Parts: sequence; C-alpha cells; structure tokens
Amino acid sequence: MRLSLSSTSILKLFSESFDNTMVRKKKNDEENGKNKKRARHSLPNHNRPQQFEAFCQDFDHAFQASVPLRKRELWVDKYTPQCLEELPVHKKKVEEVKMWMTERLRNSKEEIQSHALVITGQSGVGKSATVHVTAAHLGAIVCEWNPPTPTLWQEHIHNSSSGTRYTSKLDEFEAFVARIRKYPLLPLSSSIGPRKPYVLLIDDLPLTNGKFAYGRLCNCLHVLARSARVPTIILITEFIKDDSNDNSARYCEDLKSSMERAGASKMAFNPLTVNSIKKILSKICREERCIASMEQIDRIAKASGGDIRHAITSLQYFCLTPVEMSSLALSEPSEIQSKDKPDAVNPVSQELSLPFGRDETLSLFHALGKFLHNKRVCVSPNGYGRDAFLLKERFARLPLQMDAPERVLCQAHGQGRSIADFLHENVLDFLDNESIDDALVVASYLGEADNLLAAASHGSSMPRAITSKYELESISQMAAASVAVRGVLFGNSHPSPSRWHSIRSPKLWLVERSSRQNQNEMLRHRNEACSSLSTSAMSVMATEYKPILKWLGLEPAEAFHVHNEKIRVGDKMVMDNSGRKESDDLELEMSGESDAGDDIEDW
Amino acid sequence: MLWVDKYRPKTLDKVIVHEDVAQNLKKLVTEQDCPHLLFYGPSGSGKKTLIVAVIRQMFGPGAEKVKVENKTWKVDAGSRTLDLELTTLSSTHHVEMNPSDAGFQDRYVVQEIIKEMAKNRPIDAKGKKGYKVLVLNEVDKLSREAQHSLRRTMEKYSASCRLILCCNSSSKVTEAVRSRCLNVRINAPSEDQIIKVLEFIGKKEGLQLPSGLATRIAAQSNRSLRRAILLFETCRVQQYPFTNNQVIPPMDWEQYVCEIASDIMQEQSPKRLYMVRGKFYELLINCIPPETILKRLLCELLKKLDAELKHEVCHWAAYYEHRMRLGQKAIFHIEAFVAKFMSIYKAFLISTFG
Repeated sequence: MRLSLSSTSILKLFSESFDNTMVRKKKNDEENGKNKKRARHSLPNHNRPQQFEAFCQDFDHAFQASVPLRKRELWVDKYTPQCLEELPVHKKKVEEVKMWMTERLRNSKEEIQSHALVITGQSGVGKSATVHVTAAHLGAIVCEWNPPTPTLWQEHIHNSSSGTRYTSKLDEFEAFVARIRKYPLLPLSSSIGPRKPYVLLIDDLPLTNGKFAYGRLCNCLHVLARSARVPTIILITEFIKDDSNDNSARYCEDLKSSMERAGASKMAFNPLTVNSIKKILSKICREERCIASMEQIDRIAKASGGDIRHAITSLQYFCLTPVEMSSLALSEPSEIQSKDKPDAVNPVSQELSLPFGRDETLSLFHALGKFLHNKRVCVSPNGYGRDAFLLKERFARLPLQMDAPERVLCQAHGQGRSIADFLHENVLDFLDNESIDDALVVASYLGEADNLLAAASHGSSMPRAITSKYELESISQMAAASVAVRGVLFGNSHPSPSRWHSIRSPKLWLVERSSRQNQNEMLRHRNEACSSLSTSAMSVMATEYKPILKWLGLEPAEAFHVHNEKIRVGDKMVMDNSGRKESDDLELEMSGESDAGDDIEDW
Repeated sequence: MLWVDKYRPKTLDKVIVHEDVAQNLKKLVTEQDCPHLLFYGPSGSGKKTLIVAVIRQMFGPGAEKVKVENKTWKVDAGSRTLDLELTTLSSTHHVEMNPSDAGFQDRYVVQEIIKEMAKNRPIDAKGKKGYKVLVLNEVDKLSREAQHSLRRTMEKYSASCRLILCCNSSSKVTEAVRSRCLNVRINAPSEDQIIKVLEFIGKKEGLQLPSGLATRIAAQSNRSLRRAILLFETCRVQQYPFTNNQVIPPMDWEQYVCEIASDIMQEQSPKRLYMVRGKFYELLINCIPPETILKRLLCELLKKLDAELKHEVCHWAAYYEHRMRLGQKAIFHIEAFVAKFMSIYKAFLISTFG
C-alpha cells in the first residue's frame, strides 16, 4: 500500500529513465525474487507496466532492512531445488534435458540444426525448476523473456490520456523474437572474465484470444524454433483438457506440432508420482520440524494431483493451522464402499474432509460412461436389510457403485442440456434388447428432463426483475440434469452385459442444424418461387408444397430462373442440393432398412 | 405458376367455396370500419385466400403490389439488443409475416413491428389518416408471452392499424386476443365442393376430367383444397389424358411415416427404437413439424391396431403431444410415445398369444 499513493507520478517520472529491458538477467532476478513478490502483494489490483515494476524492486531494496520477513518465506521458494539430485522429476527426464543442454552449449552453431526445445507438462511438475537447475549445473546463465504485465482497461485509459501508446503483448513478444533472432544476447551487466554461455527460457507465452492472434503466435514460435541461435527452451503448460471448454487444449497441441515441424525437440513431463511428492514433503517436514503424520502427507500428496507446488503450499497451510485431520472423516468412509473393497480409497469424500486439495475433475465422457454403464454393487438380499424399507420389486434397485449422481455431474461440469442430449443419444445402446419397458421409463424421464430444461430456458414466466432469475434457471438446470441422470440409472434395470461402447455425440445437434438450414432454404424458396400474394406457413411448405414440387419436377425454380438471372447460380446449387437430398430420401424409402444415420452424417 | 396460385380467387366476388362468408366480409369491409379479424380453420380451407381478397377489397388493386423483404429488426430486450431476422411481405397498405418463425423470441417481433408500423401510418389522398393492415400467420404457434404482448399492442395501436390473424386452431389463441377480434371460422370444404373446384380448374385448363378421378382426388386430399389442387396438377403432369383409376401419388413423408409405423409394429425393442429414431430425424431434417409427424403416426398405427388398444394409445399420444409442446426437443417426446406404444403393444401380444 505504501507505494500506491504516488504510483502515477512516479510512473511518469521513471517511464523514460528505465529502458524496456525485456531480457533481464536471471541472476539479478533471483536476488530480488522475494522482494518482487512482496512488492506485488503490496499493490493488489494494480497492474503496473514493467518499468514501474523494476522500479518497485529497487524501491523495495531500501525497505528490506526494516521489514523482517525472512521467517514467513513461502516454502515453495525456500525449498526450490538447488541441485540435480533434489529435483523431483524423473531422473531420465532430467538427464535428457541435461544432455540436450550440454550438446547445445558445447557445440558450435553449425552442427546442430535446431536450438529449440519444447517442454510440456501440467503445472507444478517442475519444468522451470529443471531448466534452472540444469543450467546452473552446467554453468550457464538462464535468460528469461520477462512477460509484460497485461494491461487492464482502466489502466489503458489512464495510459492513453498520458500519451503512452498501447502495444499488445503479442506485439511485444513478436518484437522480442525478431530481436533475439538478429542480435546475440548482449552481456548486460559486468561479464568480466570468461563469458558464460546463455540459455534462453520462454516460460510465459503471451495470452492469445481468437484465431488470428493465435495464428500469429504460432508463426512467431515457428520462426523462433527454426532460427534460434541460442539454446532456447519454451515451456508450455498443459491444462487438464476436459475442464476447459475453450479451445486452449487444441491450441496447445497445434503449437507443439508447429514447433516440432520447425525442428524443435520435444519433451513431455508427466505429473509427479505420489511417492516422489511424499518424499519431498516429508523432507520439508523434517526440516521445518512440523508434525505431520505419514498418513497426512500421503493424503496431501494424493490430493495434489501430481502438482508439487500445490502440495508444498498445502503442506505449509496445513502446518500453519494444526487442525486435527477430521478423524471422523477418516473413520467413516461410506459403508458399502468399505464392505465392498476396503482398499479402494474414495478421493472425493476425502477431498471434502480436508482443508486443502484441488477439485477433482472428471471428463464429461467419463461421467457419461458411469451413468450409462450403470454399475451397481452386488449385495446379497439380506446385506442391506437394516434400514431398507421394503419397496416393490419393480422399484427396488441395487445401490450404485459410484458417488451420488449429482456429485459426479458437478465434477464433470455437466450442463443439463448437453447431459440430456448425450444420454438420449447413447442410452439405447446400453439397454437390454428385450426390455422395452426400461426404454419406456428412460424415455419418459428424459422427456421430463427436457420439459424442465425448457422451463429453465424460457424462464419468461417469471418477471424479469427478480434478481434471482439466473439462480432459478440454474436450479432447474440442475434439477433437469439430475432427473435425466437418475432416470437413466433407474430405468436401466437390466443393463446389457458390459461391453465396449463408444459414446457418440448427439446426432440431434446435427439434425437440428441441418433442419434449420433446410428451413432457411425453404424460406428463401418460398419468397422467390411462390408468386402468390401471401406467404404460406413453414409447415405447409414442408408437408404439401415440397413433395408436390418434387413430383412436378421442380417447376417453380425454373420459372424463377427466368425472372432473376443474378441469383441463378446460387439457386441452382440449392436446387441440386435439395434434389440430391430428396433422391437420397427416396432411396431410403426404397431400401427401407438401410441406415438413416449415414445419410444424416454426410451433410 | 402453380395452379393453386393461378386459380386463387382474387376478389371476394369470385370466391367459389365459402361464398357466404365472402359476401359477409365484403359487406363488413365496405360498409364500415373493419374490426380486427381472426380467421381460423383447418389448413387448406381458404383462409389465406379470403384474407388476401379482403385486403384487396379494402385498398383496391394497389394492395396486390407486394414485395418480399428480409428485414433484420434490432430489438432492445432489456439488458441486450437482439438481432432478429424475419421475412415480411408488404405492400403500401399491409404487411404480412409469420412471427412464429422467430421462435421463442416472437414476442419481441410482435411488439416491435407493430410499433414501427404504427409510427409511419399512411396518409391517403384526402389527407385523412388511414390505417394499415398487419397480417399475422400462425398465431396459434405464438408463445403465450407473445400473445399477451399482442393483446396490449392491439389496444394501444388500434387507431392506426388493423390486425388480421390467421391460425389453424382458435383454442390455442388466448381468450383475450380472441375476444378483441371478430372470429371467422372457415370450414374445410366438403368433398363435393372440392370436386366442383377441380372441375372448374379442369374446364379453364381445357382438360377432360373424369368424375371418378375427381372423386378420388377429393377423397385423398383430406378435405384440403390446396392439397387437392396440388394433387390434381401432379396427376396432370404424370399422365394425361386422365383415366379413372390412375395412380395418385402419395406424399412422400406420409409414406415414410407409414413405414415407421410398420417398423414399430414388427418389433418392439430398444434396438428398433433406435432405428426408428433415425427415421424420425430424417423427417425432422426435412422440416416436417413434429406435431404433424405424431398425428400421422397415430393415424397409421390406429389403422393396424386391435380395437381394444385404440383408446389407450390415443390417450398416450395426446399426453405426449402435450409434453412435446411444453418441451424443447420434440424427438425426446416422440420417442417416449413410441416406447410407450411398444411397451403396450408388446404386453398385449404376450397376453394374447402367450
């Protein structure tokens, strides 16, 4: 806070005096590492341009003496691996990186065609740590591209009033790449004595939005990978693919492949194993002299999902507040589960009982698979006697071999609509072929779900002013999803023997799209070809005119051609199209049994 | 030009089928200011024809110069603006449109467009302010909200614009709207009337129409004059001179539904249900309205069904038709109906034949 008052004036003052050093020396960085962090804390919500940040670091130096923060250091920083042995990464991977680096550092430029290495992996698997440690081991200096802070809109307005021009971060990155290709890295500070080799590390790719920007980034990296003269390491953080709805996962793949085409070597880091995380955690525990039982460490490690950074932070948090790890939760995992297979830990129930841990995500398909396969626990009839009130036989079902469906839905980020559509598309495959009654139950429940969804999406029966409108919608969305899932689970009382089914994406979507296309086409048709004085309804067009027009050999289209030369080509095409469609249609009718699916698919 | 359009009576005097209605309308329009009108009746009974003729009666031949416009309306819907695309057919005196094409956003269309029409009302030669006519088709397909907003706009702008509403079933139009209109019921023409029209067209075209064929066309037309004329023209294209027992081509989609019905009767299993779903998709892709599919399917099933089951099956068809209206995706409900039918039918077969 202490800086925020004067920040604007200082910014102006210093914006000229600090040159825009994008490549800063890592050493310098390390010294200031923690101060920088503190500086960030001191100015929340206030993104500053880079010069100012540099300024802050220096400013902080002055204060360093007065603020004794040493003790509160984050363990993540404190226990950053210093040598190769400390790295939690698999030995072979480290060795690979080391080999790559030594080769590039030792050999002159001519012999090796590519100086780029792409390292991919989830967050917290030690990508950057490996690079830093290896470089240090080999005596090389790591130069980072220091990504500029993103500009906020308010800030942009502020800047533009003060005359600073906005440059997109992508532009800056491009400029940087162009520069780095042309000029070798200049020794910025006093590099007296033997020149140390450099390794360039690009940790943080600029954020891109949209296809165009992404294409630029792709190009840029491609060029970089092909023409880099210094050993360049590019880190790409992979996200867990299923919980990002956007295309980032696909983008990531594209980036990788494009750089590989440019000759970059590629290395993928896997999530850390639970054991290696455990090892590190217990080491930290020993050093910090905190009391955490083996079991607790084990659970933290498991909950972290292979993310060491997360695990360490969790541990620190855990040691900070020595809660009694809810012994309740430990002693009562759900009864059936413990009976059935006691060794299977249920990650979800644990996760809820602990004050840390990441939310586990499931892919949509995984969740659908669970619902559709409808695995149930086999219990002997007297096994669940205690509190079971007796149901008629046709209503009774065995207990589910999964968490409550709603929880699974929650983990899979299931939207009511898509869940219902997917279930509708696939459920019939999973039913026993003899039991049409099951199909009836399932179908009617899906119908209910659809009605709920319709109520949710219309939602207009409720006054707009009610603030909780969106909540209401989401509640009925959730209700619909739940009805759909539970309906499927309940209805499928004789699951067909488990075998491998692929889960199709709903054909319904395709059908709707092409139906809409046809409708538009027909509308156009109506306007162009029908010379009557009034329009006719869509349904009439579809059910009466269209078949007749077909019998009449598409007469009105011809008539239309005479009228209007210009649209002729387009219209002709349309007509051909529909002609083909109709002939397909006819074929279908002739052959009767042939699969209607193919026909839909190729539109 | 199709015969349907070619021989559509242009004025109220030339109307053949609903002569009495036409004469009354003529009196109404010429003698006094005309109220809002609501035409309802089964499809193919001549509602549109009458509407066009009424408009012509009001404004003279000028109303026949129509142009088709595909207009985008910018609608301010509270927090955001919507872009709605809608096709309108308009002359200087009237605008015709299908607001239900806009789907669930129909209420905006209704409000916005009437407002805009009311803003620029025409001034006739004597400097008197005239009124415009707005023809709304398929009012019964409008959502409840749209019908409500229609009611309000009707009152607010009644000075500057007249509404002519057109729908198949007046029971799906809200009471409030109905009571603000003069309701005109247009019956489906009887088979005799259809035959009369066919003979009239045959004479104009200079064709020999054997009476047997005319009767058969009329019988197959389902008392829809439009379909009868379309079928007649098809027969002309396929075979002339006519013979009494020549084939009248059936509608392809109806045949397809028939096929679906026999599929369902053949086997009752989830697998068959899945196959049938594919066929329904085929129909839906071709824009056959789901209600029509369901209705047709029921007819086909009833033909082949034991009398004992007919009542129950009809009940369930009605049930699922209602659910379909409440829901969004028709296929869910059609399929539920088929599953229900299969279940009933299978139980029946087992109990009968063991």
